[in-house]
Amino acid sequence: MTNKNEHNTHLDSEYGVDSRYASHEEYQSEATALMEARLQRMKGLSNSQVVQAKLLQLKFQMQEFIKQPVNEAKSYFSMFLQQYIDTLYAKRAVFAKDIGITPVQLSQVINNHRAPQDDFILKLMIHSERMYKGVSPFPEALWYQVYFHEKLCNLMATQQQWQSTLAKEVSVSEPSVRYGKRKK
Amino acid sequence: MTINEITTGKSHEVTIIPVEASDYKTITKKRYFFDWKQEKEFEIYKLCILSSNDILGLVSFEKIPSEWRIHIRLLTVSIENKGKNKKFDNIAGNLIAHVAKIAIIEYAELACVSLRPKTEIAQHYIKKYNFIATGMTLSIEIPEIINLIHQYHD
Repeated sequence: MTNKNEHNTHLDSEYGVDSRYASHEEYQSEATALMEARLQRMKGLSNSQVVQAKLLQLKFQMQEFIKQPVNEAKSYFSMFLQQYIDTLYAKRAVFAKDIGITPVQLSQVINNHRAPQDDFILKLMIHSERMYKGVSPFPEALWYQVYFHEKLCNLMATQQQWQSTLAKEVSVSEPSVRYGKRKK
Repeated sequence: MTINEITTGKSHEVTIIPVEASDYKTITKKRYFFDWKQEKEFEIYKLCILSSNDILGLVSFEKIPSEWRIHIRLLTVSIENKGKNKKFDNIAGNLIAHVAKIAIIEYAELACVSLRPKTEIAQHYIKKYNFIATGMTLSIEIPEIINLIHQYHD
C-alpha cells in the first residue's frame, strides 16, 4: 500500500533539486566513493555498449558542429570520419574495402589530401545508416551537412586571402542599367 | 524533445539552450525556487516551448572532467508546473536527458550524470530515471544514460 506522505512527495519531487555540495570535503568523500563504485560497474560494460556510446557521441558531436557559427578553419569532416572508422574497425583498410575504395584513397581523404567525392559520401551515408541501426536514428544528410558546413567555415575564415583578389574580377553593372538611379 | 500539456494531452516541441544574460531578469526565486544568479559561474540551460520565450524549466551543472562526470547542481520547473496541478509534464526528464547528452558528447562510454537530492525525493529519481545510489549521491551511467536519452531526445 502506498503511504500518503510518500505519494505526495512523489508528486512534488520534480519541482526541483538542490544538489550542491555543502563543502569541498563533502564533495571529496562522495566523489571517491562514487568513482570506486563506477569503476566496478564499468568492468561489466560489453564491447557493444562501448561502441554504442561512442557512436552516439560522434552523432551528437556532428550535430553540434553544424550548429556552430561559421568562423574557424579546421578539418572536422576528416576528424569525424577517423573517429567513425576507428570506433568500428581495427584496421582502416577493412573499412576502405567495405565501401569499395582503396586504402590509399581513404588515407588521402582522412589526411585532407583529397576532397571526398559524392560517391564516397553517399557510401558513407549508407554505411552509417546500417551501423546506427539499433543505436540511434542517424540523419541521412548528416555527413553532407558536416562537409558543407566545414567548407563554409573554411571559406569564411580565409575570406581575407581570397576576397581582395576576386573582388577585382567582380563588377556590378546590370542593376543600375535596369533600375536607374535610386529614388531618394 | 517534447513536453505534454496535461489538460489537453497535446505534446509541444521544446528547445533547451543556454541561459542568456538578459534572462536573469525573469528567472526569479519566486517562480523558479532558487537564486539562479548564484549559478552564473556554472553552465545553466533553460527549457522553452519552441518559438516561445517563456522558461518552463532550468538546470545548472558542473563538468568534472577528471571523473568523466557532470554533476547537476540545481534543477527546477517553473512554479505552475509543480505538483498535481502542473500544466506540463516531462520538463525535468527533458532537462536531465539534455545533461546526459552533454555527458555523452564529453565522455562517451565513461559518461556519468550525478545528483544529490534530499533522501525523501531520492527514490523518485531512482524509480523514474534509473539513477543508482552510492551513499548520498545518485548517478546514471552507460547503459541507462543511453536509454534516458532515447526516451526523451530520439
